[in-house]
Amino acid sequence: MSANWPERISAFLSSPSQFLYSTTSDIFLAEVLHELRDDRASDHIKVLLLSPLLEHPTLLCPSVFVGEETALELMSVFAQCSPKSLPLRCHLLLALTSVLLCSCCVSSHTSASQDFLDLLLQMAQDTNDAQAGAALHPLRTTACDCLRELEACLPGLLSQRLELLSSLRQQENSRLHQAYTGLHALALRNAVYLLTQQKGAGAGDLKTALGSNEGFVWGEGADSAHPNSESHSDLALFSPLTLGTMGKVPSLQTGLDCKELRSLLSSLLEESYLLTSLSQAALLRRLVEVLAMVPAVSPTIFRAQLLRLLGTCKVCLLHTTLLMKAAFTDSLFSAEDEAFLLKRLVGLSQHPLLSTPEKLFYMDCILHFPENRPISSGDESLPVLLTPRLATALVPTVFNDSVSMLARLNLLSLVYLEEGEEDREGQGGRGLAYLYDHLSSLLRIVENQASREMVVTFFRASFLFLLHFCHVERYSEDLSQRLCDLYLRRTRLAPHLINLADRTQDRLEESGWAVALLRALQRTITEAPLSQLTLQDLRWHLRILARVAEEGEVLQRATLNFLLCVITSSSSALCVSGDWRLGNSVLGVCRRLLLHPSLDSLLTPLADLLQHLTCHYGETDIQDHARLYYTLLTTLSQEKLAGVLAQRGTERGRQAKVRSLSAIMGENEELTSGLTVHQTERPLLRLVKLDKHEPDECRPEHKPDSEPACETESSPGQGGIEDYRAQFQSSSFASEITLQYHLTHTGVHDPHFDKLFSIRLHFDLTDGHYEEVSDISVPCLFRTRKPPTVRLRLKPKQPYHTTLRASAIFTTEDGLSWHSPLADLHVAFPEVFLPLLTPLGWAREKKQRVFEGIWGEICSGQSEGDLTNTATSLFCDQLEDSAVGELVRKYFQRYLVSDLDKGRCKVLFFLPPQSHVLLKVITEEDAVQVHIATDNWKLLPYINSYLEDITKEIHSTQQVNGDV
Amino acid sequence: MSVRALWIISYERGESVAVRFSRRYPTVEQRAKCMAGSLYVSVPEDGTVLQLLLTELGLSDSDKPYMALRDDCLHQQRSPALELHVEGPSGGVLWPLLVISQGPLILACLAVVDAPADPRPPLASLFSVSQGLTLLAGLQAFLCGSGSKPDREGLTSRLAMMPSILLQICPLGTPLDIPQPGASSASAMPTPAGTQKQPAWKTGVHRGRAVVNVALTEMVRSMQYGNRNRQDLWDVYGTVTCKCEVEGVLPNVTVTLTLPPNGSPLMDVLVHPCVSSLDASVLTAMSVEDCDSSAFSGPYKFPFSPPFEPFRLCSYTSQVPVPPILGTYQLKDDDNQLCITVSLKLHESVRNSFEYCEAHLPFFNRDQMGSVDVKVSSGQLEVSKEKNLLVWVLGQKFPKSREVSLEGSVSFSGELPGPTDPLCTDLTAYIKLYFRVPDLTLSGCCVDQHSVQVYSSAKPRIVTSRELLSSEYFIWNSTGTAPVSSGHMML
Repeated sequence: MSANWPERISAFLSSPSQFLYSTTSDIFLAEVLHELRDDRASDHIKVLLLSPLLEHPTLLCPSVFVGEETALELMSVFAQCSPKSLPLRCHLLLALTSVLLCSCCVSSHTSASQDFLDLLLQMAQDTNDAQAGAALHPLRTTACDCLRELEACLPGLLSQRLELLSSLRQQENSRLHQAYTGLHALALRNAVYLLTQQKGAGAGDLKTALGSNEGFVWGEGADSAHPNSESHSDLALFSPLTLGTMGKVPSLQTGLDCKELRSLLSSLLEESYLLTSLSQAALLRRLVEVLAMVPAVSPTIFRAQLLRLLGTCKVCLLHTTLLMKAAFTDSLFSAEDEAFLLKRLVGLSQHPLLSTPEKLFYMDCILHFPENRPISSGDESLPVLLTPRLATALVPTVFNDSVSMLARLNLLSLVYLEEGEEDREGQGGRGLAYLYDHLSSLLRIVENQASREMVVTFFRASFLFLLHFCHVERYSEDLSQRLCDLYLRRTRLAPHLINLADRTQDRLEESGWAVALLRALQRTITEAPLSQLTLQDLRWHLRILARVAEEGEVLQRATLNFLLCVITSSSSALCVSGDWRLGNSVLGVCRRLLLHPSLDSLLTPLADLLQHLTCHYGETDIQDHARLYYTLLTTLSQEKLAGVLAQRGTERGRQAKVRSLSAIMGENEELTSGLTVHQTERPLLRLVKLDKHEPDECRPEHKPDSEPACETESSPGQGGIEDYRAQFQSSSFASEITLQYHLTHTGVHDPHFDKLFSIRLHFDLTDGHYEEVSDISVPCLFRTRKPPTVRLRLKPKQPYHTTLRASAIFTTEDGLSWHSPLADLHVAFPEVFLPLLTPLGWAREKKQRVFEGIWGEICSGQSEGDLTNTATSLFCDQLEDSAVGELVRKYFQRYLVSDLDKGRCKVLFFLPPQSHVLLKVITEEDAVQVHIATDNWKLLPYINSYLEDITKEIHSTQQVNGDV
Repeated sequence: MSVRALWIISYERGESVAVRFSRRYPTVEQRAKCMAGSLYVSVPEDGTVLQLLLTELGLSDSDKPYMALRDDCLHQQRSPALELHVEGPSGGVLWPLLVISQGPLILACLAVVDAPADPRPPLASLFSVSQGLTLLAGLQAFLCGSGSKPDREGLTSRLAMMPSILLQICPLGTPLDIPQPGASSASAMPTPAGTQKQPAWKTGVHRGRAVVNVALTEMVRSMQYGNRNRQDLWDVYGTVTCKCEVEGVLPNVTVTLTLPPNGSPLMDVLVHPCVSSLDASVLTAMSVEDCDSSAFSGPYKFPFSPPFEPFRLCSYTSQVPVPPILGTYQLKDDDNQLCITVSLKLHESVRNSFEYCEAHLPFFNRDQMGSVDVKVSSGQLEVSKEKNLLVWVLGQKFPKSREVSLEGSVSFSGELPGPTDPLCTDLTAYIKLYFRVPDLTLSGCCVDQHSVQVYSSAKPRIVTSRELLSSEYFIWNSTGTAPVSSGHMML
C-alpha cells in the first residue's frame, strides 16, 4: 500500500472529486493519519501525506469535530517526531494551521486550537536560539508564519500580546527577525483597527494596547463571518483599508500624545531595509494602514525611505509607494513628487529591462494613478499630468507583443480622445492619425498570412479603436472599406468580421458603423466578379450575407440577385452537386430574408430562388425545405410568416431568443437553437425528504414457495439462519433501499415555472458506493397542487452514506424544455438501514434465532482471530431508563428483534447488499451499554458516530424536558 | 496580500500540456470567500483551470481558426491579470489570475482580492497583485535557471524542490521572499554575535579576503531606415552587476559611476533594494521627457550593503549622440533576383576591437536562395544551412577606413519555400547586427576601481569591467516600407 502513496496523493491533489469517487473522505483521512503514525514510513512520504490536509482541509475535515480529532492526531505525530525531522515538523505545523482554521476549530475556540497556539507561541519565544540552537530556525520561522496566518484569519487574536511580539522582534538578530516583524506589524495593525471601532478609545487605550501582554482574544474569524450579515467595517478587518474611493478610513483620535506608537513605527521603519522586498512591501503596507488610522502621527516619517522606494527596481516596493500616495496624497507627496512618479511610471511601462507583466502592470497603474487632486473618479481615467507628449513613449508599434500592444493602444486612445476634444474639427490630431496608421500596418500584416494570434489581435485592436473613435468618420469609414478589401482576399475571416460587427453594434448602438460595415460587405460580395468565386469563398459569403439579412435597414435586393446568379447560372454546378451544407447555408439566408421588413419588394426574386431550389437542387432535404419556405412565402401574410418562423423579440436575431417548436421549420442552425434545452439560473425544484417508511417496500411480498413456514418451524437450531440466508440466493433480494421525497418548487418564484410537465429527474453518483440510479419521471408539478411523491431506489454496493447530484429536465407550459440543477441529495448513514428481512409469517422467536445465529457467528469469528470482516464493539453512555425507552422508541422501533424488556432489547440493522449490524442494548442503573456486532468492520466508525448522534439528541431532548 | 493558489504549467506546442505543480492555500481561500461574499467563486480543480487558462491565453484548440469563446474581440486582455470564466452552478469569474510565461513554462497565481468585490476594485489598488507578480517572476527565474529555456531534467528536479521552496518563501499563501539560488543550505546560519541584525535577504556570510567585482554591461539598440522621412533611432541601456565578497553582517560598500565631462546623463535609474540611500538627483533624468543640458550628470553614488550572491546593483538608459555602426541597406528587385548593396561604417569614437561582429541578412516569404553572387570588402560571407540567411562575419576589426561594404545579387531559385514573416513582405527587409566590444561603453559611463569604497578592515581586491553588446540592432532596407518602431518618430 505504502508504495502507492506518491501516486495516490498526486491523484487526490489533481482531482479530489474524482479520487473520492472511489473512496470516502473519512476513509482516506483515516488512512492518511494511520500512515503518518507508522514509524516505518519515511519523512519524505509523510510530508507528502500532509499535502491533502494542507491543500484541501475542508474536504477531509468538513466539521469542527473531525477537524479537532485530526488536529489532535497531528499534534501527537508532531510530539513524537524525531527532532531531526525538520521539514516534516514544519509541514505538520502548516497542516495543523490549515486544518484548525478551515474546520472552524479556531473560531470555535476548541482545546486543540488553544494547545496549538500555546505550542506556536512557545516555539516562537526561543529568540536567538537560546534553547534549541540554529538548526531549528526553519521550525521557528514556520511557527511565526503560522501565528501570522492565525492572526490574519482571526484579526485581533494577538492584539493583547503586542508587548511580547515587540520584544521578540527586537531581541531577534538572525534572519528570523523578518518573521517576527511581519507578525508584529499585522497584530499591531489589527489592534489599532479594533481600537478605532471602540467608542471613545484614545491615546490611553493605544498605550495600553501597545504594552499589553495578556492572553489570546478569541473573536470571530474569517471562517465564521457570514457573507450576508457582514457590514463594511467587518470586512475592513481582513482587507487593508480600501484606500481612495471606498470611503472613510476609520480613525483613532489620540491627540498628539502617542509617543510610544511613533517610536515603535520608526523602529519598524528603520529595520525595513533589512527585510526582503516582498516582506518589506508588506510591512510598509501595514504601517501605511496604521498611520492612516492614527492621524496624530504624521506620514512624513516615511519620507526618509521615499527616495529609496522611488528608485527601486522591484515592482512590489514601487506599488507600495503608489498605495502610500493614494493614502496620504499631498501630506506626503508634493506636486513635484507626483509629476516625477507619473513620469517614472511611463518610463517603466516601456523599460527594456522589465518583463512584460511588470510593464502591463505599470500601465494599469497609470490608468488608476492616485492623483493628489483627482478631478474625476471613473473606472479608467487619465491623470491630468499625462500629456500627449509624455504618452508618445507608449505608442503601440508592430514590434509589441499582442497584449502590450492592446494595452498601449487603449492608453493612447484615451490620451488622444482628450486631445481630440480640444481639436475643434473633431477629426483628431496627429496622434490619432498615428494610431490609425498603426491599425493599417496591422491590417497589412493580417493580409500577409499572419498567425491566428495576430488576426485576433488585429480585430481586438480595431474594436478598441472604434470604441474610442467611431465618431471620426474619416477613419471609421476608411476602416470599413479596408475591412471589405481584406475580406475579399481572406474570406476565412468572416467569423471575425461578424463578431466585430456584432460587438460594435452592441457597444455603439447609435453609431450605425456596424450596419455600414455589413452593407459594405454585402456590396463587396455581390459586386465581385462571379467568375473568380470559389466554393470555399461562397460558404463564407453565405455566412456574411445571412448576418447582413438580419439588418432591416439594409436592402436585400443585391443579396438575392447574387444568390440567384450563383444558383441558377448555367455554369453553376452547385445545384447538381447537392451539397447539403451549402444548400442549408443558402436556405439560412432565405429564411432571414423571409423575416426581412422589406420582404414585399423581394417577393418575386425570393420566390424564384426558392422555386429553383425546390426543382433543381440535388438534395431532397434542401428541396423539401425550399418547398416549405416557398409555400409559406406565397400563402402567408408577412405578419404570420414572422409569427410562424420565429417568436422574434425586440432583440436582434443572433442573441439568445425564446422560440416555439415551430422553429423546427428553420434550417439547421435555428433548429438547434429551437430545440435547445435551456438552463435555469437557479435551482427551481427541490426534493424534500419524507420520514415515513414504507413497510411493504422493504419486505419481500411473496412467501418463499420452497420453504413454507411450517417446514421451517420443524428444523431446529440453525435452521432459522439458514433459511434466512437462503433468501439471498436471489440476487435481487433486499438489494435496494427506497427513499421517499416530495418534489416541490424552491423559494424562487417565477410564474413562468408554476406549471411544469414531463419532469425527468436525473441522479449522478459522487462516489462508487452505489449502482447507477435510474431516472425518475414525474408527469407534472403545479405550484398550487399537492406535491407528488418521488420514490428513489438506491442499490448500494457498499452501505455508506452518499451524496447524489440531482438535476431535472422539464417542459414549461409554453413548450420549452429546461434543465435545472437541484440541491445535492444527501443520503445519511441511517437511511440505509433495513429491518431484518424474513419471509412473511415468521414468528418473533424465529427472528430472534436468526439474530442469535448471526451474533454467534460474528463472535466466534472474532475469537478465532479469523481475518474475516467481522467485528464487535461496545458503546456506553449515561442514559436513564426512561431515556433508553425513548431512544428505542424513536430510533430502533422498526429494527427491533425483541421488545424492550427491563431495559434490554435486541436490534438488527440490515444494510444492503449483505451487511448486518446487531445491537444488544443493556441498561444498567443509569448507563446504557450497546454491544455491537457486525459482519462488516468498516461500518464501525459510522455506527459509532450514529450512536453518538442519537444519544446526544436524546440527551438534549431530556434536557429540554427537564428544563420545562 | 496573498495568493489563493499557484500553478506551474508546461506547454509545448503540439506536444503536451500539463499542470506540473499546483498549490492551494485554503486559509487564504477562506478569507477570499469572506471578502467576496455572494460573488465568491471557488477555485476549480487543476484540469479545469488548465483548460480555462489556455482558452484565455488563446492557446486552446489551435486547429480551429475561430472560436467565439477564445477569439471574441470583446475580450481585451490588456492587463497582466486574466479572468477565468468558470462554468456550472458554482461558476462565475475568477479574477485576477496573474500569469507569466516564458518558453514552455506558464506560471500562474490567483491573487486574493482584499477589498469589497463589488464594484470590482482596480487592479492597481490590490496589493496582492504586485506581490503575486514578484513571486511568479522569482519562481520563473528559479525554474528556468540561468538559460532562457529550462532543460527537461533540470526542470523536473527543480519542480521536485517546489514543496520545500514554498515552505520557505510562501508557506501559507503570503509571499515572503523569492527563491535564492543556493539559499536552501544557508537557512541554518548561526545567529550573529553582535547586536547588528542580519538582513533577511543575506543568505550567507563571506569569510576570507575581500573581493569586489563590478561589471558594467551596455546594450545598444538601433533602428536605421536610411530614409529622410524616417528619423533613425538608437539608444543604450546599461546594467551594473556586482559580486561582493566582503566580511561582516552588514558591510558598507559604495560604487560610483562616472560619466565623461560632456556625457549625457544616465536616465531611468533603477536600483537594487540593497541600496541604502539615494540622492534625489540620481533619479531626476528620465527618457520620457526631453533632456535638460544642465541636468545632473554624476558622479552617481550607490551606497549599499551587498547580498551574498551576485546581484544587479542598478540599471540605466542613456541617449548617445551617434550610433556605433551606421549602415545603409538597399535592395532592388530584378526578376526573382535581388540586388543587394550594404555599407557599414564604424563611428570613429568606437574602439575598433570587437570580440565578434556579424551582420545577418534574412530573407522571408521567398523561395530558398539559389545562386549567391555577393562580394564583401572585408570579412567572410556565409550562407546558412536553410538557405534563407546570409551571415556576414566581420570578425574582430573593421579595416582602417572603418567602412565595409557588401554588393551583389541573390537569386531565389531554390526548391523549397523559405520561412514566412507577416512583416517582411516585398522589399521590407532588414539587417540585424550582432556584436560585442569589450572594455567599452557608449555612454562613457564607467566604474573607476578607486571609486569603489569598502568600509571594512581588510583592503579589498577590486575588479571592474565593462562591455558593449548589441541588442535589436536593425538596419532596414531603404527601398522598402519599414515599420514604425517608436513614438519618438512622430515628434
